Amino acid sequence: MRQELVHVIAGNVFAISDAQGDIELDPHAPVGLFAFDTRFLSHWVLTIDGERINALSRDDMTYFETRFFLVPGAASHYVDADVSIIRHRSVHDCFHEKITVLNHASQPAEFTVRMEMASDFADIVEVGQLRERAVQIAVDPAANRLVLRYERERFARETTVQSTAPVEVDEGGMTFRIHLAPGGTWETDLHVSLTIQGEAGQDLRAGLQSHQQAVRGTMREDLADWLDRAPHLVAERGGLEETYRGSLADLAALRYQPLASSERVPIGGLPWAMALCGRDSIITCLQTMAFTPELAPATLRTLALLQGGQLDDEHDEEPGKILAQLRYGESAAFGERPTALYYGAADTTPLFVVLLDEYERWSGDADLVRELRHPARMALDWIDEYGDLTGDGYVRYQRRNERGGAINQCWKDSADAIVDARGRQPAFPRATCELQGYAYDAKRRGARLAREFWGDPAYADRLEREAAALKDRFNRDFWLPQQEHYALALDPYGEPVDALSSNIGHLLWSGIVADDRAEAVAEHLVGSRLFSGWGVRTFATGQRGYDPVGAHLGGVWPSDNALIAAGLRHYRFDVQAARIAAGIFDLAQTLGGAVPEVIAGYDRSVTKYPVQLPSAGRPQSWSSGALLMLLGTTLGLRPTGDDLLVNPAVPGGFGRLELLDIPGRWGHSDAYARDRTASPHRPRAK
Amino acid sequence: MGVTAAQYLQQLDAGRRPDLPETTAGTLRLDFRGDGCTDHWYLTIGDQHVRATRSADDADLVVSAERTTFDRMANGELHLAQALLSNELAVRGDLRLLTLLRRIFPGPSGARHPRELGRAAVAGRAGSSGRAGSTGRGERP
Repeated sequence: MRQELVHVIAGNVFAISDAQGDIELDPHAPVGLFAFDTRFLSHWVLTIDGERINALSRDDMTYFETRFFLVPGAASHYVDADVSIIRHRSVHDCFHEKITVLNHASQPAEFTVRMEMASDFADIVEVGQLRERAVQIAVDPAANRLVLRYERERFARETTVQSTAPVEVDEGGMTFRIHLAPGGTWETDLHVSLTIQGEAGQDLRAGLQSHQQAVRGTMREDLADWLDRAPHLVAERGGLEETYRGSLADLAALRYQPLASSERVPIGGLPWAMALCGRDSIITCLQTMAFTPELAPATLRTLALLQGGQLDDEHDEEPGKILAQLRYGESAAFGERPTALYYGAADTTPLFVVLLDEYERWSGDADLVRELRHPARMALDWIDEYGDLTGDGYVRYQRRNERGGAINQCWKDSADAIVDARGRQPAFPRATCELQGYAYDAKRRGARLAREFWGDPAYADRLEREAAALKDRFNRDFWLPQQEHYALALDPYGEPVDALSSNIGHLLWSGIVADDRAEAVAEHLVGSRLFSGWGVRTFATGQRGYDPVGAHLGGVWPSDNALIAAGLRHYRFDVQAARIAAGIFDLAQTLGGAVPEVIAGYDRSVTKYPVQLPSAGRPQSWSSGALLMLLGTTLGLRPTGDDLLVNPAVPGGFGRLELLDIPGRWGHSDAYARDRTASPHRPRAK
Repeated sequence: MGVTAAQYLQQLDAGRRPDLPETTAGTLRLDFRGDGCTDHWYLTIGDQHVRATRSADDADLVVSAERTTFDRMANGELHLAQALLSNELAVRGDLRLLTLLRRIFPGPSGARHPRELGRAAVAGRAGSSGRAGSTGRGERP
């Protein structure tokens, strides 16, 4: 069993170590100090008198700051109480560790404290298939400094470690020979700056000062303000307030500022998706609209700026398409992977329009809708011009980059995610069902924007006609009358891929489900084949491809479930929505900590405990966002005109719920709810 | 190599470019380095038009690179974002304007419209799916 990993995060700069604070190369796990997709430290091990040290306890102060309390010796040995060590670590745009050694003895003492240091400058996407790099090491004893540098042509990355205390520097690290008086204390600050060549050079000491100020002042203030701006939750149910605040803090941690932006946008999440991922960012913004609406305009502007402009097979790019992924690593820089700007996603483009409309409904920010008219119009044009590959009016995908493009360009993006009930993969191009729902929703919302803000009623009429025709066609071609659910996808010849999957829940969220079929869909979603007790499985049991530990073939995703629960409430299936919300809240509170991106699909009645998958990352922005969206769905928050409508459907046993100071075009508003099983009082809204 | 970047900019279409956002305006200076001298091209973008002139005036964004780097860009042989990441391009100023260059310079030649793949599949010449690497968002080893 692998030891617990500890992380500190500041957007796409993050460090993952073991529970002692040490970093040692693991060929399969992204352990180390990373920034902009590059590992800047792959080895960072502290010893005292040649001995490894062991953590007694730890204080995870904030997402960007942790303190380790340590003593020499392995845990199984006698613990030498005469000396203890504190590592106080923080991350900002650089990394900082204060090491404090305390002598508890009544005698003076001498110690040799050593920090081993190395970097392999791996691109994070290579972890699992690491390769050697020639790293130049420069020892600068006069400046108490060690510089590690990697160069390839003009591409260069550099790690500079500097100590405030005098130190012996060698190519493998730094050694401190220290003398401590009885009861005395010694400390040093190790400052690690991360240089991406091409940026203006900065004086290291200035960097050191600005980092400490940033952590001590700006970052703490920033987190406090972020939590302050979000609505305040008062919940009778124990632990829910903590889970809510934890999710807000996770969202704060997972923001980064793209090079061309002045605002911060959500990234995917730890550890594999610490980069801008169009889908994750858009979904997160949709989930958090009632809580942290500032994410949405930043994300919309960033994605508009990076919107596809050309036909480009390598990057699966087309004019108007919204980004799938943006990375800064070496493999992106040299085109070994298409990720410098990768567009292989068929859902991001319609969802971009959905987000723009949803944001206006909550914020009343008409200026942004006008500012982004051109990219929104290009996105709407993309749906028909480039999204419809076979000319039958459905959005499909097939990668043109057959070397490194995404095979499945929908949220279920693992290579084997799309199969029929007998486990067979359909041919390409594939039209998964939820893409049609998103396209329908985008056209309807685009019509509203065209009519109310762009002064283009003729275009609005056209979009509405197209949306209505799409809904009719979809309900004819995707519906499986025998099974009473929608097909997961159509193959290129129009044949349905007949699997029962969670994707049908997204259809409710988009509103493309015919009213007389909604109940059958809702019953499937909470039926025993899809619903595990914690949430809706991605893929129903009893089908050939079902795999409880398969991420997209049986696993349960909080983000997926948040959209499904919202969809159920759109169609007034309040009891079913509350069941899902209760299951995901139970999942989050049982596990504690950040909401994982996915858990196994085992029946809750069998395992009693949510079974985590080793590949599941956390924190993940759309998982933390899911928790917020489920709260919003439970309270039934919806903007109507200039008011906030509150229409609760609270799961049994939750008691009272209050969400205070919900931001929006109404200023700030409060929502009050109470579960109906607990009391005869009717819920009230204000 | 087809055209040089200088030729490409000399012949740049002066008409309306509907693929540029009407709300975007700004100036870019392209510094072509080489042979001991630097040539300056000045792009004025506004109202969905691009005007290319020769000037060393200061601009909202200054992009500098070897002349051959710009030549490759003018032939759709160099991806702008990759060139930035690999430090083949140096930039100073408002980086938002850099994305406009991706619409001013051409994309790679021979790129296919997605519908070509769709039509081929329907016609029974099914496009291969391939089993090589993938670029899913949560790439895992």
